[in-house]
Amino acid sequence: MLGAVRGTTLLAAQHYAGSLALAAAFSACAVSGELGPALLILFPVAVLAGPLVQRYLAGRHQWGWTALLALALAAEAAGVASGTVDIVLAATRFAVLLGVHRLCHRGSRRDEWLLLLLSLLLICAGAALSAELLFGVCFLAYAVTATWALALTYLRFEIEGARSPEQAATLLRSRRLVTPAVLAALGALALVGLVVCAAIFAVFPRVTLGGLRRASSTIPVAGLGDQIDLSRHGVIADDPRVVLRVRLDPSPSPAAELPMHWRARALEVWTGRGWRARSDPFGGRNWPALMPPLRLMAARRRSAQLVADIEAVSGFSDGIVLTPEGWTRSVTFERPIAARATPPRLVRATNGDLYYAPVEVGDLHYLVRTERALPEMDELRGRGHEYPAGLADSLEVPAEVDARVRYLSQRLTAGKDPIDAAQTVERWLSRSLAYTRELSGEQKDPIAHFLFESRRGHCELFSSAMVILLRLAGIPARNVTGYYGGVYSSAGYWAVRAGDAHSWVEVYVPGAGFVTFDPTPPSGRGGAQRSAWAGLVLAWDGLAQRWRAFVVDYDLGSQQRAMQQLGQALRDASRRLTAARPGAPEFRAALTQAAVGAALISALVLLLRWARHRRRPPSRRLERDERRAQAVWRAARERLHRAGVQLTPAMSPREAIRRTADRRPAAASAMERLAQAVLAARWGGKRLPGSHGRALLRELQRALRAQP
Amino acid sequence: MNGAAAARPRLAIVDVPAWKRRLTFTPMGRWYVGLTVAIGLAAINTGNNLLFLVLGLLLSSIIVSGVLSETSLRAVRVERRLPAAASVGAPALVGIVARNGKPRAPSVGLELRERHGDVAGKALLLLLGAGQTEEVSYRFTPERRGLHRFEQIEVVTRAPFGLFEKSRPLQVPGELVVFPRRIVPPAEQPRRLARDGERSTGRAGHGLEMHALRDHRPGEDVRSIHWRSSARAGRLIGIDREQERRRQVCIVLDQRRASGAALESAVERAAAFFERELDGGADVSLAVRGDRLPPGSGERHRIAGLTMLALLDGSADGAPPVADAGASALEVL
Repeated sequence: MLGAVRGTTLLAAQHYAGSLALAAAFSACAVSGELGPALLILFPVAVLAGPLVQRYLAGRHQWGWTALLALALAAEAAGVASGTVDIVLAATRFAVLLGVHRLCHRGSRRDEWLLLLLSLLLICAGAALSAELLFGVCFLAYAVTATWALALTYLRFEIEGARSPEQAATLLRSRRLVTPAVLAALGALALVGLVVCAAIFAVFPRVTLGGLRRASSTIPVAGLGDQIDLSRHGVIADDPRVVLRVRLDPSPSPAAELPMHWRARALEVWTGRGWRARSDPFGGRNWPALMPPLRLMAARRRSAQLVADIEAVSGFSDGIVLTPEGWTRSVTFERPIAARATPPRLVRATNGDLYYAPVEVGDLHYLVRTERALPEMDELRGRGHEYPAGLADSLEVPAEVDARVRYLSQRLTAGKDPIDAAQTVERWLSRSLAYTRELSGEQKDPIAHFLFESRRGHCELFSSAMVILLRLAGIPARNVTGYYGGVYSSAGYWAVRAGDAHSWVEVYVPGAGFVTFDPTPPSGRGGAQRSAWAGLVLAWDGLAQRWRAFVVDYDLGSQQRAMQQLGQALRDASRRLTAARPGAPEFRAALTQAAVGAALISALVLLLRWARHRRRPPSRRLERDERRAQAVWRAARERLHRAGVQLTPAMSPREAIRRTADRRPAAASAMERLAQAVLAARWGGKRLPGSHGRALLRELQRALRAQP
Repeated sequence: MNGAAAARPRLAIVDVPAWKRRLTFTPMGRWYVGLTVAIGLAAINTGNNLLFLVLGLLLSSIIVSGVLSETSLRAVRVERRLPAAASVGAPALVGIVARNGKPRAPSVGLELRERHGDVAGKALLLLLGAGQTEEVSYRFTPERRGLHRFEQIEVVTRAPFGLFEKSRPLQVPGELVVFPRRIVPPAEQPRRLARDGERSTGRAGHGLEMHALRDHRPGEDVRSIHWRSSARAGRLIGIDREQERRRQVCIVLDQRRASGAALESAVERAAAFFERELDGGADVSLAVRGDRLPPGSGERHRIAGLTMLALLDGSADGAPPVADAGASALEVL
């Protein structure tokens, strides 16, 4: 009955499984980051120290514990009443405290079931507090550990209820009951449960009433600042975290990196150490803005529309709508999942930057339509030097400029059309200076230091130098921040990462608006993130995106689409099967696939059977006389059965003799002789020649016939 | 014997359909289902997909639990093994042999429970491997004498999570006659006791006393030759010995004279006398109103007598009991 492999005792296994299930549920809440440091420390301590202290605490100081819990409940209730604590968070924190209390007072059946119920409540609380992929990981861990805990708790109390205390204690302390194989089988059971769970999740009707839904209260982490400081020390570190997930239509080839600027905001005001945004940015009311005539002509001549489906990852966008380079024609926000959540609203700054409000926790999903067609260079030339008054900021030059910088500006731009001057400066910077990720540190004039002393710098120095050089020549230019590039993820989207942060230049051309220039050498644009860590982060983000797409954002529409796709796939398969004829390539392919599948399944079954057979202890092969005894006994049972004496397989030979004597007394002695011979041969090591066995059977048969 | 036999209740055997199951919640199961409903309502109310995910996990556990418990119950056959003898007040073991007829799947956490019979008992079988047979037993202490009916054995499982209790009744009828409580017999001795030990019957047999002399027959045991008469007669003379009969005791019990506790006490005393006299080597007969057990000895006779006393009730009609002629009578009532 019990496995031969020694494992742990049932008591210990059940204890640990219950703790693990509670820990997994607690982790699902903790990943939201809202529980607070006290509980984050207290709970693991209770899990680890609980087994040590519960013998001292169990049944003692109950009033003290009750008072503490009552105090905690009162504090949470006061927080909810005053509006400083969300009710879900308050309930979660109190449930964690109850869990801590139970971990230190485990002893009875009630305690164990309460722990399991608390773990279930905590996993639900985690679902309300966090939607991250980490919750999914905790959920998987919970599914496995809760299966262990439920099954082992059931087994423990089943044994305790059915056996005497001594027998139960022996079984519960046996190391042969809970073996690794049993735990693996329960793990497999949990996986089956997860598959069923996925099926239920997919088909359960998504009917939402939109009643009580928890609003988020976390302040997002800013990812794009409103100023640049050129005198920082150190080295620009790679940051492989994904900030944008983009699907493009038309989509470039996934083989190469994406040569695309993702515009965030313009920083136009020189601070002496870098750049900052204008102090009164929100004033743009004409949205969508009219496309400048030169761009309009170019678009009419040869349109190059790009549709970007963008997911801006929470914590990086800081209220900014990132757009691909080109003229943004429209921005459409996806409807929020929350039934009562506020839909985002687009806000346009006077300098053309796009923002959204309100800024809430959670990824932002929007669709950007961009016209990428640019006027020809000849069209951009000769547009004059008269600029609108609103561009004053883009013409402002530092009060004290190094003479070398003024001279360089003059040398590069003198007598040239603004667009040619911009091209010249861009080319000169890109070819004459080197790119480095090392920051220059504190400098009196970072631009002059970059241009004439170090001659090496990062993208912000390149773009700042170009802006200063152009402004000195009276050409409106501004520094623009955002991201450059993107790598293709196996999840089917372009991932723009935090390390792809970049800075470039926009030059104003009358009739065409701001035109993008990038003086940073191409090798230095964006991040060069090809490390294993960056790969892992990208893979994790792929999972997170799938989690979001298939779980968090799964709604009635997704459900309908999934059902339609399933129906279509079935119809296609049916059509292919009915259309395919023997000899046709499709038929041969289907046949080959079916054969390969069958062969693989057969091999797997054989492998499993072989593995199972190997694990089985070798059974003793029966000797010839023992096998003969078995055969004689089977034959005797058949004869008796035909004569109306029913013998069950579980009946021993001695019981069979008694039953035969009751039902057919005349055959009792023959049966007794046969049974004695069978017992002697099967268990006593005596011989049973075939002739003797047949003689015994004949004698029994005669006796049975003698008395109907 | 007729009166007792007429009083024996008949078993009403009704076939239980193979599909029949009974499903109840355990206390934990009630909480579990309540929480599942609550989480389902919360998920529908908020539209939070992660709550739908948790709901899916809870529902899948219920489904998996149902499938596994059904697998555990399927193709399990049981057979009851009743004790050869049971007396009031003495613990008795009832064995239940369970066989798992499934070729691959084991049955887990089976509770084998008596149902609809006169006896309540249950036994736990933690694991019954595929194709295996195991025997478990439970102990019960009869509280009354007489016929105890066994009707169904319910195969119950709460595996794998202890949330639900699913059971399958199997018709396994059986009967057990519980003998009267075993007490120390009173010192009362049989009346009209002729003499102790054996006495002659006046017929040829295998006793010690001589019955007659006759010619020796070839093939007869030489020990049967009466040598002195043979020498006198000049030929072999054989000896016939008298048949000796053992002491006969008749226990007389008129059950109409008492009822309730008094009758029970009388039956217990009669059983104690019956066994004492049997153990003492006597041929013991039983005379009750409307029935009698002829004199006899041996284990079969002991069981027949105790069974008669076990099934005796106070409502029997018929002639009052009369002690056997020639037997010492021991009147209990």
